[in-house]
Amino acid sequence: MIARIKSRTREVAHNLADWMEERTGIVSMTETFLFEPVPSKGKWLYTLGSATLFLITLQFLTGILLLFYYAPTADEAWDSIYYIMTEAYFGQFIRGIHFWSANILIVVIGLHMVRTFFSGAYKAPREMNWVVGVVLILLVTILAFTGYALRWDQEGFWAWEVGIKIGSYTPFIGQYVATFLLGGDTAGPATLSRIFAIHVWLLPALLAPLIGAHLYLLRKHGEFGAEFEYSKRLSELRERRQIEEYSSYTEGEGSLEDDRDSRG
Amino acid sequence: MAELQRDPVSRGQFLTMGIVGSLVGAVLTIPPTVYLLSPTIQTNFQGRSDIPDEWVEAGSVWEIPSGAPIEYRVEFPQNQTYDAGQPGAEEEPTPEGVAPNVGTAINTVLVSWRDGNLPGILEDNGGTQTLSAPEVEELSRRINVLSNHCAHLGCPTRWQAEKGLIVCPCHGGEYDINGGYRAGPPPHGLFRFAFEIRENGGLYVKHDFTNGTPWVV
Repeated sequence: MIARIKSRTREVAHNLADWMEERTGIVSMTETFLFEPVPSKGKWLYTLGSATLFLITLQFLTGILLLFYYAPTADEAWDSIYYIMTEAYFGQFIRGIHFWSANILIVVIGLHMVRTFFSGAYKAPREMNWVVGVVLILLVTILAFTGYALRWDQEGFWAWEVGIKIGSYTPFIGQYVATFLLGGDTAGPATLSRIFAIHVWLLPALLAPLIGAHLYLLRKHGEFGAEFEYSKRLSELRERRQIEEYSSYTEGEGSLEDDRDSRG
Repeated sequence: MAELQRDPVSRGQFLTMGIVGSLVGAVLTIPPTVYLLSPTIQTNFQGRSDIPDEWVEAGSVWEIPSGAPIEYRVEFPQNQTYDAGQPGAEEEPTPEGVAPNVGTAINTVLVSWRDGNLPGILEDNGGTQTLSAPEVEELSRRINVLSNHCAHLGCPTRWQAEKGLIVCPCHGGEYDINGGYRAGPPPHGLFRFAFEIRENGGLYVKHDFTNGTPWVV
């Protein structure tokens, strides 16, 4: 009975997969997206990129949820976060995920970068992917910094003040950078509006296509050290071995014939 | 050969394309750039400030102790996003029941006597609490009216009585009671507010600084 249910379920699942594949190509697409050969040595280290992608996706999802309650005004920002934390069901949970996954994201990106560096995966022909990755880490850092300020509490506010002060030390354009980030000559409602626009719209809009480019370049060149990295060398090696084996076989056969001749 | 050298685009066409391309490019890029940079243009080139150029009362000279600064929290009216930000904007009629959208920028002002010494004028004033013009002038020379924002990265500093110094919690910048640089990363002493002392001893400050721009609230 159980065996029959199992086989029936399997059959339905297969049919459904076939039906979807025929119409959308989703099964083969999933295979293409998910199956990426990685070197057998240090294979767990090659999950850091996927972990980063997962955490960024989590940031997008929880960020969208937070937007349903967050009010980006100087008067209400902190109160709206207080509401999320104390009144909204699962608010603490959702914000906790956003906060902690942002913190973990920075660590995971750092480890991902360290792995890339020490495995030499930044070398030719992958230099551009390294450059895209560096831009991505800068964007994520700015995202973390602007997110910190969005709370508009003492910590976030003063961190932003310090950030603006650092920006004001930029040679030649320091004062312009400061007034641009402040939205005037003092911190106020315009400052928070700018931080919000940068955090919620500008940076994610830059981040998403760059992640796409990062993944495209990864697929184009493959993971460094993967088997196909050496596929040409391996195929030449196999060919050489085959020739060697064949020649040794024919040489062996020749010597047998010589033996027969000598006996005959 | 002459056939090969002939350019399919004539000079006239090239020029037209260049002009039209520049115009389209300008229409597409200049408005959003200027839109984003409008606070920079207004502040840095037109000299506009979010804080109106007016005196706000901080406290009274009679309250300032000897040997330590006193902290005043001063709320400056701030015009930024929600109105035109121009002088007089807050006087425009607002719909009934709606408060005028003028926020405030809160600043902490550290006020002390030079070297912490209480001026003799205040001791010998006979309790009249009214100051003559020469007395006001003398007190103005002997008073420190400082922004508490560190000259390094803008963190809020505070007075530490046991050290007898104004100390920044962020990177350990230290200033003496007059706001002069003592130690740490700040490039100079604390920023000084523009101030005036009135006859009754009232201390008034402006959101204006006599030794640079602190880029703070």
